[in-house]
Amino acid sequence: MTDFDALTPVIHVWDGVLAVPIVGTLDSARSQVVMEKLLVGLVKSGCTVAILDISGVPTVDTEVALNLLKTVDAARLMGAECIISGIRPEIAQTMVNLGIDLKEVKTRASMARALEEALTTLGLKVVPTSEVTPT
Amino acid sequence: MNFQRIPVLQLGPYLLVTIQGTLDDRTALTLQEDLTKKVEKTGARGVLIDISGLDLVDSFVGRMLYTVTAVMKIMDTETVVVGMQPAVAMTLVELGLTLKGALTAMNVDKGMELLRRRLRDGTPDFTAR
Repeated sequence: MTDFDALTPVIHVWDGVLAVPIVGTLDSARSQVVMEKLLVGLVKSGCTVAILDISGVPTVDTEVALNLLKTVDAARLMGAECIISGIRPEIAQTMVNLGIDLKEVKTRASMARALEEALTTLGLKVVPTSEVTPT
Repeated sequence: MNFQRIPVLQLGPYLLVTIQGTLDDRTALTLQEDLTKKVEKTGARGVLIDISGLDLVDSFVGRMLYTVTAVMKIMDTETVVVGMQPAVAMTLVELGLTLKGALTAMNVDKGMELLRRRLRDGTPDFTAR
């Protein structure tokens, strides 16, 4: 468990946005740790959006996929939103083949797009400084 | 017949219920009744159920939360479940009680803001999920 702890950082990337990048093998035990760390991180930081980035995860099995869904549901219950980003093509195919329903889950291709979505949710927008009218 | 009665406070057009510690079945049922009666009496537009002090749930309480939101919806009142603890959220998800359709917020402040926004927009939001 302690190994997973060090390997799963919960990063405060923006005001109100947490990011949890996962690199390496994700088994059911680790996905449980991820869920706990993410939910506790939300409470501690008061953030309302969490991005779960799994671009560093090679494969998932049924249990792990279901745990990811549970994480999203639990975050919603707490009044936050969880976006899953970086789902690899193999994982996407596995999930669909396993009959796992991701319709209600916000998924984004990359961390960058997920962050963009998170900012939109918070009612924020990043614009080039040239577009900002000087006060 | 020893059970607590959870107070239902009125805050302008909203009702606030704060649940502390654990909730036994009887208290949960009484709360459900009190809440519906109070909504009828006051014509409240929204209900905030603060469960930040609730550290343990069972399927009964989970179902109660779901029932309350559904009943309130029929009575034209929005319900926001506020401040759920990670452990409680995980238990409910394990029980398969994901409260689909209920509004949620991190704390009372954000819940109140959510209610205000919903009522101002006039969109009855029970997003069919």
